[in-house]
Amino acid sequence: MNAPLLDVRNLEKTFPGVRALTGVSFDVRAGEVHALLGENGAGKSTLIKVVSGVYQPDGGEILIDGRASRFTSPEDAKRAGVATIYQELLLFPELTVAENIFLGHAPRAGFGRIDWRAVRTKAEALLASLEIDDLAAGQIVGSLSVGHRQRVEILRALSHDARILIMDEPTAALTEADVTRLFGIVRRLKGRGVGIVYISHRLDELFEIADRVTVLRDGAYVGSRRMADTNSAELVQMMVGRRIENLFPKTLVPIGAPVLEAQNLVCHPMTRGVSLTVRSGEIVGLAGLVGSGRSELAQVLFGITPAERGEIRLQGEAVRIDSPEAARSRGIAYVPEDRAVQGLVRPMSVLNNFSLAALGALSRFGFIDRAAERRMAEAGVKRFSVKTSSVDEAAGRLSGGNQQKIVLGKWLANSPKLLVLDEPTRGVDVGAKAEIHRLMGDLAADGVAILMISSELPEVLGMSDRVLVMREGRLVAEFDRAHATSEAVGGAMMGGGANRERAA
Amino acid sequence: MTAIPVTGAAASRGFLRRFASQEALLALAVIGLAVAVGFVNPRFLAYRNLADILLGNAYIAIAAIGMSMVIISGNIDISVGALIGVLATVSGSLAVAGAPTAVAWLVPLALGILVMAAQGAVVAYLRIPAIVVTLGMLSILKGGLISVTGGKWITDLPQGFHLADLDVLGVPMPVVIMVAATALAAIWMRDTASGRAIYATGGNAEAARLCGVNPQRTVVMVFALHGLFAGLATLVYATQLRVIQSTTPSGLELTIITASVVGGVSILGGAGTVVGSTLAAILIAEITSALVFVNVSPYWTDALRGGLILATVIADIIRRRRRAARGWRT
Amino acid sequence: MSAAAETALLRAPWWLKRHETLLAIILAVALVGLGAFNDRFLTLDNLLNQGRLMTEIGLIALPMTFVIITGGIDLSVGAIVGLSAVMLGYAWKTFAFPLPLAIVFALFVGGLAGFVNGFVITRVKVPPLIMTIATLALYRGLAEGVSQAHSVRGYPEAFYVLGQGDVLGAPTQLLILIVLIVVAGVALDRTTFGRALYAIGSNETAARFSALAVDRAKLVVYTLSGLASGLAAVVLVSRVTTTRMDMGMGYELDVIAAVVLGGTSIFGGAGTIWGTVIGLVMIQLLKNGLALTGVKGDATIVVIGAALIVSVLIASSLQRRRE
Repeated sequence: MNAPLLDVRNLEKTFPGVRALTGVSFDVRAGEVHALLGENGAGKSTLIKVVSGVYQPDGGEILIDGRASRFTSPEDAKRAGVATIYQELLLFPELTVAENIFLGHAPRAGFGRIDWRAVRTKAEALLASLEIDDLAAGQIVGSLSVGHRQRVEILRALSHDARILIMDEPTAALTEADVTRLFGIVRRLKGRGVGIVYISHRLDELFEIADRVTVLRDGAYVGSRRMADTNSAELVQMMVGRRIENLFPKTLVPIGAPVLEAQNLVCHPMTRGVSLTVRSGEIVGLAGLVGSGRSELAQVLFGITPAERGEIRLQGEAVRIDSPEAARSRGIAYVPEDRAVQGLVRPMSVLNNFSLAALGALSRFGFIDRAAERRMAEAGVKRFSVKTSSVDEAAGRLSGGNQQKIVLGKWLANSPKLLVLDEPTRGVDVGAKAEIHRLMGDLAADGVAILMISSELPEVLGMSDRVLVMREGRLVAEFDRAHATSEAVGGAMMGGGANRERAA
Repeated sequence: MTAIPVTGAAASRGFLRRFASQEALLALAVIGLAVAVGFVNPRFLAYRNLADILLGNAYIAIAAIGMSMVIISGNIDISVGALIGVLATVSGSLAVAGAPTAVAWLVPLALGILVMAAQGAVVAYLRIPAIVVTLGMLSILKGGLISVTGGKWITDLPQGFHLADLDVLGVPMPVVIMVAATALAAIWMRDTASGRAIYATGGNAEAARLCGVNPQRTVVMVFALHGLFAGLATLVYATQLRVIQSTTPSGLELTIITASVVGGVSILGGAGTVVGSTLAAILIAEITSALVFVNVSPYWTDALRGGLILATVIADIIRRRRRAARGWRT
Repeated sequence: MSAAAETALLRAPWWLKRHETLLAIILAVALVGLGAFNDRFLTLDNLLNQGRLMTEIGLIALPMTFVIITGGIDLSVGAIVGLSAVMLGYAWKTFAFPLPLAIVFALFVGGLAGFVNGFVITRVKVPPLIMTIATLALYRGLAEGVSQAHSVRGYPEAFYVLGQGDVLGAPTQLLILIVLIVVAGVALDRTTFGRALYAIGSNETAARFSALAVDRAKLVVYTLSGLASGLAAVVLVSRVTTTRMDMGMGYELDVIAAVVLGGTSIFGGAGTIWGTVIGLVMIQLLKNGLALTGVKGDATIVVIGAALIVSVLIASSLQRRRE
């Protein structure tokens, strides 16, 4: 048999303080779809960035057609026939389909002029070759649906004669019909001998489209399987492993009256009729894949994108949450997912970040009581053991874990009744993680209702009294603590998996 | 903002897109307005008046070509009005001082390129917002001009200096230059890789980099060309005058920006054509003239111009947001 | 600036590194220098008179500091001065409003003009730069249209106390400016409103996620900018005794230059009122000093324009070095 199109051997990549990849190997043959599977932070993105020339590896080698290759830039990789389709599509909204496909390498006529006729016919030929008949070469990309935009990206890759196509969660934002069409395109590409690296969280998809799968965990290679020889239970097992014992399990506290009761919340496009209850003293884990609508739901509850329909009751009283201010005044706190963008004002001092959400309480007639503000920040630094030289240090200079403690601390200063935590321990070191978990337990013991979003299954299972699973904007499953196993929750997250389990 | 339900099938949207392009709408408006005003006051349609409108405002259309490029690349320039004032004075002074006509014509072009390219370099490589750089340059040029010349008038221009008085096969030179510049710029922007780079840079600078476009070099190039067109506009403007007043025409930069924006150049960058901006420059000139013929005080012209630019900007942003929302819905 | 000088600057103690301290030192040197060159410069009369002349710019520079701290900009201030001035004259002469009511009307028009800016910027999400370029054209055009280029003069003598009179030995308007400087400085430094402005300018998303009323703060800031421009218009009319449609032309340059020179970051998130005051004084002394040494008025705007570019260049290169 010929050498594989792409052969990755013992890849190593280290970022300051983090070993992102250790000894990762996999290969892709012509006409094969090879899936990469792993939780968030497992190293999939780093891996594809190394393969597509964005990062340089620290060790190991990449072979293209059996020849060792070094890519120092994405251009290099493109020339070698490796094209990547990222989740955030890199297109020019104001330009046409044909132009987006050929930007940078358009066919030329005399005097360096772009040969528009050739651009158009070539684009049409590409469209025809994939049997895409509802997309015209002359359409403006900005007006296209996400599915169509993705097709344009695929065509752009093909226009470079890509032989290895890397697709990073291509179905994350697609509708069912678009997914079906994408699979049609993928099969056609397989037929032409293109090798495809396919990244997805959705197990049912992989069983449908992939030939082989490689599982990564914590940047390390776990194993490879032929799809025909494995099942979802084994894959989930490989993905999550057994790491629950490192965590602080939640202490049992009496669970009280409902704090939050939401009925049929709808907010276009990712919250599609969600009803849930969170009780005083209870930690409810919200599991789901990236793009399942978890953060969107949190932002509906917090008033960033107010619900278009549905009802929210807080401690039995119907309330309207149409802004974050309204949410705060009702006792809702939200620790967002993206610390750097949503959580912290990085150039501001620790002091000013701590008080940012509690300025109302710290001021009289609009004047900030600066002594009280300092007392509060210093107390917070002590309580959450934030490691900082002083409260006047810029918050952006602290480590991830300490930054997260500040974001958490600034909201606890308001003594919230409902605390919504979105990925509370992402990018946080083990020590800080344990402290955050202990803190959550303490808060629950004080009667705070906690809704915790997490992509880390062991965290969800270890901390939650109840686990809700979200998929495609809806809650699809609910497990109490006793029944929440990684297989059951993981299966429900992946969709098809759960059905398989039940059918078996 | 209330959401207006999108009615009509995709087919009708395609139809609209083909026939309701900004250029077609503007051309329609130019003709429609002429007919309407002609109805109220037939003297508006006199050849002399229509020719005056075109000849007197060709330089605005020419300057708007460069401005359109600057805005499409995602920047802005408010120094161009002052620059045209300076270049006109330089050109006139050279002519009066006895320099060869070619020198009096070419020096403003070179100087325009130089000044604008320098500003483009500061914007692109030192990452200072274009508004700060061009606001500073505006005052340097404006103050510099008056303090050097004392605002005195340049008279006794030699006969040969008046390029604008010439014609090509009966077509006056300002119109020839306007049409030729618009056509060349339109073809270059549409049909060459370097022209398309402007759209890529303004539309999505990060994606442009990945496609092998150098956004910084593109911005410098765009500003240099903007300077070239400012120089060309100066030629048409200055050689029409018998007396060059060595001050900067006030509010000229706003008229030029208005022509670009009303011509369909998206103020957020990445879209627009120079055919549109030229048509818009003509339309604005026509409106100004029409006001006189329907007995509205000319002092309302600037308010109308301001209202026009504001309405276009708001409409552009709402339209883009709708379209983006539609992209997600389907 | 040489590399060695820059390193020295970076190693200096924090209070020396503050933009305001540096500016104050430069200002002191400039004062002494100009005083040595010209004995008419460092006289109380001259300095008070300069205070009178800088008031209009100063009034607008205060809310402009707020605007730029939020990461925005307002280019329409000069046009609003023109519009408010015209409205003052129009209300008094044509509508025959009593003068106090005409003043209130002019202030209202200024505030409304600013409110419109803020409303469209927050609701339609038009970038501030674009919005205020458009309204710069619109408001100036309205001033021209309403006034039809007629100027208004012959205001009652009592009105001139504001622009030409003295209270407690100092120009009336200068006292108003000083009071407003203190108010603005305290508001920015000590209130939740001021804190919100810094948060918005540094990271608008995080500000929103911290339940700060981002849109309301922006709306207030642009409205204040319009209101201050209206007040500047009233002071200006009182000082020069006439209303003309081209009043306030080019003010945006002086105002933005004062704010940026005073250390407010053009990218938002940093700046102080005290810095702006120093920037304002520097610009005025520059004008005065140049005038006294025989440089004509128009040459001073060359210097202001250059100062604007250079101060942003220095600020951004220092910033980049620090990162």
